[in-house]
Amino acid sequence: MLNSRFIRRELTSSPQQSIILVLCVALSMVTLVSLGGFSESVDSSLLRDARALHAGDIIVHSNYDLSSPLSEAISSLRRKGMIDAVRVYEFYSLVRAPDREGSILGDLKVVETGYPFYGTVELRSGRSFRDTLQKGGIIVEENLLGRLGLKVGDRVKIGSATLTILDVVTKEPDRPVNIFSLGPRIFISAEDLNEIDLVKKGSRVMYKALLKVHDERDLETVAADLSKTAMKGQEHVETFKTSESRIKRFFDNLLFFMSLIGIFTLLLAGIGIQSALTSFLREREKTVAIMKALGGTGRFITSNFAVIVSILGITGTILGLLISFSLQGFFPVLFRGILPGDVVPVISWSAVLQGIALGVMVVALFTFLPLYRLEDVKPASILGREEIRSKRGLLYYSVFAAALILSTVMVVWRFGEVKTGLYFVSGTIALIIISSLGAEFILLFMKKADVRSLALRQAFRGLFRPGNSTRAIIITLTASLTVISAIYLIELNLDADFIRSYPADAPNLFFLDIQPSQKDEFARTLGIKTEYYPVVRARIASINGEPVNPQDEQRRVGDDLTREFNLTYRDYLLSDEKIIKGKGLYMDGWDGLQVSVLDTVLKMRGLKIGDSITFNIQGVPLEARVSSIRTRIKASIQPFFYFVFPEKSLMDAPQTIFSAVRVEKERIPGLQNLMVSRFPNVSAIDMTEMVSLFSRVMGRLSVIARFFTLFGVVAGVLIVISSVLATRYARIQEAVYFKILGARSTFVLTVFALENIILGIVSAIFALIFAQVATWIVCKKVLEIPFTLFTGTSLIIILSAIFLATTTGLLASISVLRQRPVIFLREETKE
Amino acid sequence: MNILEAREITKRYTIGDRQVPVLDGVSLTVMNGEFVVVEGRSGSGKSTLLSLLSGLDRPTYGRVFIEGQDITDLSEDELAPVRNGTIGFVFQSFHLVPSLTTLENVIFPAELRGDPDALKKGEELLRRVGLLERGGNFPHQLSGGEKQRCAICRAMINDPKVIFADEPTGNLDSENGRAVLELLLKLREERKTTLVLVTHDMEISKMADRIVTLKDGIITGERRHAQ
Repeated sequence: MLNSRFIRRELTSSPQQSIILVLCVALSMVTLVSLGGFSESVDSSLLRDARALHAGDIIVHSNYDLSSPLSEAISSLRRKGMIDAVRVYEFYSLVRAPDREGSILGDLKVVETGYPFYGTVELRSGRSFRDTLQKGGIIVEENLLGRLGLKVGDRVKIGSATLTILDVVTKEPDRPVNIFSLGPRIFISAEDLNEIDLVKKGSRVMYKALLKVHDERDLETVAADLSKTAMKGQEHVETFKTSESRIKRFFDNLLFFMSLIGIFTLLLAGIGIQSALTSFLREREKTVAIMKALGGTGRFITSNFAVIVSILGITGTILGLLISFSLQGFFPVLFRGILPGDVVPVISWSAVLQGIALGVMVVALFTFLPLYRLEDVKPASILGREEIRSKRGLLYYSVFAAALILSTVMVVWRFGEVKTGLYFVSGTIALIIISSLGAEFILLFMKKADVRSLALRQAFRGLFRPGNSTRAIIITLTASLTVISAIYLIELNLDADFIRSYPADAPNLFFLDIQPSQKDEFARTLGIKTEYYPVVRARIASINGEPVNPQDEQRRVGDDLTREFNLTYRDYLLSDEKIIKGKGLYMDGWDGLQVSVLDTVLKMRGLKIGDSITFNIQGVPLEARVSSIRTRIKASIQPFFYFVFPEKSLMDAPQTIFSAVRVEKERIPGLQNLMVSRFPNVSAIDMTEMVSLFSRVMGRLSVIARFFTLFGVVAGVLIVISSVLATRYARIQEAVYFKILGARSTFVLTVFALENIILGIVSAIFALIFAQVATWIVCKKVLEIPFTLFTGTSLIIILSAIFLATTTGLLASISVLRQRPVIFLREETKE
Repeated sequence: MNILEAREITKRYTIGDRQVPVLDGVSLTVMNGEFVVVEGRSGSGKSTLLSLLSGLDRPTYGRVFIEGQDITDLSEDELAPVRNGTIGFVFQSFHLVPSLTTLENVIFPAELRGDPDALKKGEELLRRVGLLERGGNFPHQLSGGEKQRCAICRAMINDPKVIFADEPTGNLDSENGRAVLELLLKLREERKTTLVLVTHDMEISKMADRIVTLKDGIITGERRHAQ
């Protein structure tokens, strides 16, 4: 049945189309496989050692100092010899050189001797961390030295203490990346805790106890016992097995988002595979017709071509795997700033198997229909150039439906969640359908258009050339350009409206953790009239008697009710607030505690006037009735609070004061120094610097997202090349005829160039419209920031798309343009 | 006056490491308005002679002149105005542009030179040959005879001085072939166009003013048709 000579000859007879097909198969899997492998590399390099990631077996943490029962329970276990334990305190505070201006926000970690139980804190000197960190000294990140112009041996002021820089930390086991940090790391010995005098009641500190169990079999029992003693909702006890590292969560989310782009690229590459194979087989229609005329059965023909396609598919899969491995080597550069540089690429066999499965599935799904089409080639087509019209019967639609279902199943499996997976598939299909409809509309217009210019008319006609994948090109380029443009436009909007155009009247220097007793003196020292906001930290225990379920809340996208909230108290509305439900901030004649709620809370849980919310303020329950719903009149960088209580109700609760002022940028360092030196417990945060940090991170993430989306654009480029190759004969024929009839080479070049320019313009305009709509939705509905069109950037996107389509099409057409008429005619006459 | 002149043209093709001679030192002149048939058996070199005379190909040796202009070494772009205005082609395989309608194929050369009356001229020609109603059809929708009539109209639209026809009836049945030839000759007569036609059909040869016989790449005979 199989004819190996035929298969061999056919594989080598049109190498260019074969290469395109192979590249499309490779492209379909490269993103997903490389990300899968990279995920394992990150895991094994950074995250696999969960003990080191948490620096202990059991992690007890709270935003408040550990309660006496819990502390006593830990001490008791220590006395019994069951565990070792160290206390760790993490918080931000300003750090400054004593004899000069300038301070920076440091990420402080105060640790007792014994930290870390697992993993190693590596120092630049090579010395042991435990031997180096002593009372009176600190170990800092390199960044701090650079920014303050200091070196090892110099002294810095932290809180009320002046400490000496002993060494530089180069690696920290429970903080493999510092993307979440607002400042450089500073390790301080717990023996200096009182000296620095920053850990006070109400201070914004993460209190931890890291435990190491002597007998691993006691792990679960110890954790369970401590959990029973811990204050519900305030103190948390987790083991290294159950605790989800923030880093790991971040990378899981990041790589998940990237794999969305990978699935998107896979679908576009699938269109490329179908298009390339259709072109490949179209060139062989005459061969198939001859074979049938000589007695070849449909089965014989289809099976031989299926083998050819399989060989190309396997080659593409292997190439895809090789490219994926190579790409992983590039990822440390791509993810620089987010990942440390020593992530070692590993070969993930699960990613390899997944890649092979993907390659097989994609080839099978997207090549079935072109192969099926071979059935429709009739022997009589040898005698004429009649278009072969495929009958779209039950089998056609069944396969189409199967492809759709399988793709959906794969996406949903990847997501791990049906609803989100279906949203993604629907969105992608909607994008493809709308692009198709747009393409049809434009092509219809071009068909009927009465154009004066001869070259333009010929270019329009060229788009309808049999075998031209005009629709596939428009759809693929539009879809991929939409995604890449939307990512870029969202980043620009964030940058302009949130980061760069920091409002001229918005406060740029925030003061946190002012103690109530310090307020008057603070205000005198500051000397700037400003608002002081009391802040009481609390969690929500229940709403209308129904406890808040942590599992349900954490599944929600966005904010959730289980986090800690900042409550405040006042009897007036702020200038940027208004009441949307209720008669005023509070109800007259109501007994009991009242609370005014910001409408943002309603996105997490529907609430109405009269509903009751029970708060937990450091273990003390507090029930209040909803007296009004407020909204913010404009988005601004002014402080705002979700829950506002009447002034008298929370005055005696443990609290800190928060304030914010607007000063000239040059005054910030001096003012920071002044306030912190007088009030060492107060954190003074330069918001413009924070915003700048956020911008850098966002920029980095955007670059990464756009890099992966480029693969979708490559799919579009491959289809353009494939289309030109598929219609090579027709293009040569046209070029020769034009020349015979007296056209110059420039005319022929102009016609082909215009054809590709039109493809570029149509794709770019559609992509831009869709991208702007998507950006508007994200800006207005998700991020709630103003939306800007960015016409200049939009124009650049259009021009880039035109350039891409034109250059690709013309480069692929060079050999056509060089064809001499006489050679073509001679070949034709011979036939 | 000689509208066409070939001086000692030789054409050799290189196939692998061999040189295959197709024409050997052929000299030929064609007078203005003359109807010349180049006859010979298959492989005699008559189509090659046609392609050299029309500038489609270049001789290995020798010179070719059209209206006194030496076209031998002209580039493709320099030949463009000659192909557009001075000469017209009718091929055995028609060679119509498949993406253009019948009318568009006919008027294409006129549009290339920016003729404002291209459409009018095209329609007139199609009416003359009985194809006006098929003006909106594409080549694949035409019969062989219709395609060739369309090709003749296309060749004539710019009133060329010379028409080169390479076996114009070769792909047609006898009835269509006769009709096409009559049309070609009639139009040629009306417009006083020089016609150089390649054929192996003796019946067609009888209609020519002069018959040039080729054998194995050289002219072996030349005779005038008795008036």
